Amino acid sequence: MSQIKRIVLDVLKPHEPTNVEVASAIGDIRDVDGVNLSLYEVDQQTENVKITVEGTDVNFDLVLQTIENLGGVVHSVDEIIAGKKIVEEEETLHDRG
Amino acid sequence: MSFNIEEGRYIILGSIDGLLATLGIIIGVSVVSASNAIIVSAAFGGAIALALTNGVGSYLAESTIEHGKLAMTEKSLLRKLNNTYVEAQSRRKIAKGALSSGGASFIGSLIPLAPWIFSVGSVAASVGLSLISLVALGIYAGYISKQSYAISVVKMVALGTLIVLAVQLLRISHLVQ
Repeated sequence: MSQIKRIVLDVLKPHEPTNVEVASAIGDIRDVDGVNLSLYEVDQQTENVKITVEGTDVNFDLVLQTIENLGGVVHSVDEIIAGKKIVEEEETLHDRG
Repeated sequence: MSFNIEEGRYIILGSIDGLLATLGIIIGVSVVSASNAIIVSAAFGGAIALALTNGVGSYLAESTIEHGKLAMTEKSLLRKLNNTYVEAQSRRKIAKGALSSGGASFIGSLIPLAPWIFSVGSVAASVGLSLISLVALGIYAGYISKQSYAISVVKMVALGTLIVLAVQLLRISHLVQ
């Protein structure tokens, strides 16, 4: 299995724990170099966030487990980058149109 | 254990309850008996009962609210939150509420009782100590609410004075009979 370098997740979470606590908890996972957590929707009981996790060898299961333990639900895995180097998504003619 | 605004509510509620109810017991019992031992045992019994009822009462109230909140969040998330950080925080909040309320009530009760425990008891000393504590509580309430300290202190002291006067009325009516 090649090493996972980046994971982008769409997560639904309660207001507590705060986004700072969630980002910090994911950042504490071994081999995670950085976390970006962006809030894009707030409801009465919950909020939707996009979590980007980067590292040398990100443990996907551990990231999911941490999010679930903090009361979150992973709606979708929007991007995964694995292998020796980070490969960005290429824009195609279809995307330009 | 750190205390935030939420616990502040229980500390104020419990302290006022313990302080003034025990003061009421002391004033009331001192009408029929000047015995130090009788006043201490009556007030101490009241203090323990108040601490337990405040602690258990806030445990039941807080657990009802917290479980309700948890159920609403679970409904929104479409998942159970058992054994998660969220549930642990909820349990911690319930325990802190119960301890703050019961503990504050017991400590508050000991203030008017203190002169009697050290056998230098007089109703005036109990009232004096209680009023000083109410001033301190008023300052704390003003600090938490970020409102005027003076208004907060006046409210607390007025409440205390009202209760002392009400109990004193009972004392006067007893002496009249």
